Amino acid sequence: MSARDHEKIRGREAPYLRGVPESTGAPMIAAFGVTLLFAGLITSPMVMLVGVICMIVGFIGWIRTVFPNEALEMLPIGSEIPEPAPRFDANPRSERVSLPEEIQPYRSGVLGGLIGGIAMAAVAIGWGVLKAGSFWMPINLLAGIFLPSVEAANVDALKVFHLDWFITAVVIHLVGCVLVGLVYAIALPIAPRRPVLFGGVVAPILWTGVLYGSIGIINPALEQHVSWRWFIASQVAFGVTCGFVISRWTKVPTMQKWSLQERFHLEGNRETKP
Amino acid sequence: MTTVPAPIHSTSDPRMGLGERLHGWAVSVDHKRLGIMYIAAGLIFFVIAGLEATLMRLQLIAPLNDVLTPQGFNQMFTMHGTTMVFLVGMPVLLGFGNYLIPLMIGARDMAFPRLNAFGLWLFVFGGILLYYSWIGGDGLYGLGGAPDTGWFAYSPLTSKAFSVGHATDYWILGIMVSGFGSMTTAINFIATILCMRCPGMTMMRMPLFVWLMLTVAILVLVALPVLTGAQVMLLLDRFLGAHFFDPQQEGSVILWQHLFWFFGHPEVYILVLPAFGFISEIIPVFSRKVIFGYPLMVAATVSIAFISLGVWAHHMFVIGMPPWLNSLFAASTFLIAVPTGMKMFNWIGTMWGGRIRFDTPMLFATGFLVMFLFGGLTGIMLAVVPFDWQLSDSYFVVGHFHYVLFGGTILAVFAAIFYWFPKAFGRMLSEPMGQWTFWLLMIGLTLVFLPMHMSGILGMPRRVYTYQPGRGFEIWNLISTIGVPFQIAAVLLLVINVVKSLKSGRVAGPDPWDAWTLEWETASPPPSENFRKIPTCTSARPLWDRKHPEDPDSNYE
Repeated sequence: MSARDHEKIRGREAPYLRGVPESTGAPMIAAFGVTLLFAGLITSPMVMLVGVICMIVGFIGWIRTVFPNEALEMLPIGSEIPEPAPRFDANPRSERVSLPEEIQPYRSGVLGGLIGGIAMAAVAIGWGVLKAGSFWMPINLLAGIFLPSVEAANVDALKVFHLDWFITAVVIHLVGCVLVGLVYAIALPIAPRRPVLFGGVVAPILWTGVLYGSIGIINPALEQHVSWRWFIASQVAFGVTCGFVISRWTKVPTMQKWSLQERFHLEGNRETKP
Repeated sequence: MTTVPAPIHSTSDPRMGLGERLHGWAVSVDHKRLGIMYIAAGLIFFVIAGLEATLMRLQLIAPLNDVLTPQGFNQMFTMHGTTMVFLVGMPVLLGFGNYLIPLMIGARDMAFPRLNAFGLWLFVFGGILLYYSWIGGDGLYGLGGAPDTGWFAYSPLTSKAFSVGHATDYWILGIMVSGFGSMTTAINFIATILCMRCPGMTMMRMPLFVWLMLTVAILVLVALPVLTGAQVMLLLDRFLGAHFFDPQQEGSVILWQHLFWFFGHPEVYILVLPAFGFISEIIPVFSRKVIFGYPLMVAATVSIAFISLGVWAHHMFVIGMPPWLNSLFAASTFLIAVPTGMKMFNWIGTMWGGRIRFDTPMLFATGFLVMFLFGGLTGIMLAVVPFDWQLSDSYFVVGHFHYVLFGGTILAVFAAIFYWFPKAFGRMLSEPMGQWTFWLLMIGLTLVFLPMHMSGILGMPRRVYTYQPGRGFEIWNLISTIGVPFQIAAVLLLVINVVKSLKSGRVAGPDPWDAWTLEWETASPPPSENFRKIPTCTSARPLWDRKHPEDPDSNYE
């Protein structure tokens, strides 16, 4: 090691290079004193007095271990100097990456969610028309997540159009579908080999299981009228459609190999962007 | 027979008597010994809290049971909760921080070694003071006077009128003394991490565990003084006739709740973030991959800490706050799920495509992922205000937070024990016994805490010492209690494993897991000065760089 390197490393020395702190019981005695001091508040002044004495003894002992010079146990010779940092040759041929290297773009999730939402709505409305005899029934039931008035409504009221319920249901449906679509877009690249199967069957079944357990609290009106077979069918319709739309998009590479400047699209680095 | 090298200045010399050895431990200011003492003391309190929980479960095994009196039951859940939060969770995690931080950052010791010892003893004596209430709580030397107001000590239950004797005072003072210990340790962590990193270890090269402990230390310093302040106000109410929490004298009982939960919610993250740190160290090593998204993990950690300070009132949805305030706190609670979710995805991303080895630490880490996910999801459910209105103060909440804190923190602590035991003692824990411990604990955890969600949904309130038959609670309480022996067996097996391995476990060597952080570079157990030479750091995986000079991480930073 050159004298210059030696000097450099010495300039970055961490504390306690020449020794480790010597053992002392002073902190324990001080802590005992503090505890007795507090205990004395509810027991007796004598306890408090003993606490104060212990505390003073402990703190004096403590101070004496650090002033004027800190008491240290010396280390074996040869254990003082930091090792120099190893130097490695640059190896530009190998690239280490984190998986997944490629993902579907987020907009595929938004689009997939919206198209999946249409498929889901079609199945749900199909149930409304075929089984419940009303186009508006599933829409009104969905609004029951937020609107207490739905819960109080009778079946006849659930079968007719209400503007406020309709708007609420559309907003819930759109937001929900887009968010779930985004989750699919993020999760599908790390899903098992057949993403559409995972997104279309496994995820809806899990999701329906969770809802089955909690729907009575989230939306009692829906629990009262829902047909679970149709419910699962609508979830599967969403999952398959959404998964299919997302998987059709060309994957894009993640930004893991980009520098921070490239990620922020700074002008200076444009020419180095892959 | 192969022997484990003794550290320099060791007090484990066989020629030493027991007294000398104990004295050596008592006066030690070495961060490693203090760390081990923190963990050992925490585990002793863990056993005590476990016994308290067992008594409660026995009481609830059948309706109208009389194992405990109503008063006794109140004392049990108060002491169990207080012990688990203040005397088990925090000290065990601070103990791991004490042991590991200087080793991980290549330092010789903590910044303030004597303050470190002071913190440990404050915690120990604070715990003893709290438990002394069993003797002194009903007035000096009366019997059976432990605190009985819950670990949250809501006013006006804690006022002189409802809490006669000194039990509540012991609670206040014991926790306060322990809290001072935690604060000194937090100061020490911050100073050590910011000032004593070895050459080359930049902030973005620190192990994630160190990042998480730094965040926890800051949280402790922000949150714990608020509790201490509230406790001082309560003492003034009880001793000097102040009326901070007395509504009849223009005080406010809600003020206590605000102050308590301003501490209490970040406390959950103080208990969970170090567990995240353990998992972030263990999963990459056993997946043989770099942690996925290190900068994102750091950002998520800081975000969690920041957001956790603004969500306390979600514990108070049922006290009658204005709807807009409920909505605000519900939204901030939902928000915290984002960085937490990022962490979950990053751990899974780290495992994905890796060459996973399911040794015991990894088993516990994987169990943590599943259990914490479940606890997190039920937490999101409780953040929905109407849902919380239905299930607040029911057993659903008890099940939820045990999934978070037991399924999260305790599983991670077990993972950490199995992972770092070879470093601390130079010997491996038995792998088959470890796997049995894991499965027993998982079965016990599921049997005890999953049915609580059901009894809660059926309407069983928490903190009741018994219940009427015919309300559907019997079966769930029976299953819960049946799970207890599994947990006891798991803990016993761990104790046997530790004792057996200390005597005759396989010698570990410095790096038994083929890991990458600096603590694995030094001997096991480490010498008193940690490293014969202060190491230097070239990347976030310094030991990888030394082992693989042909393909070091430093080339990719």
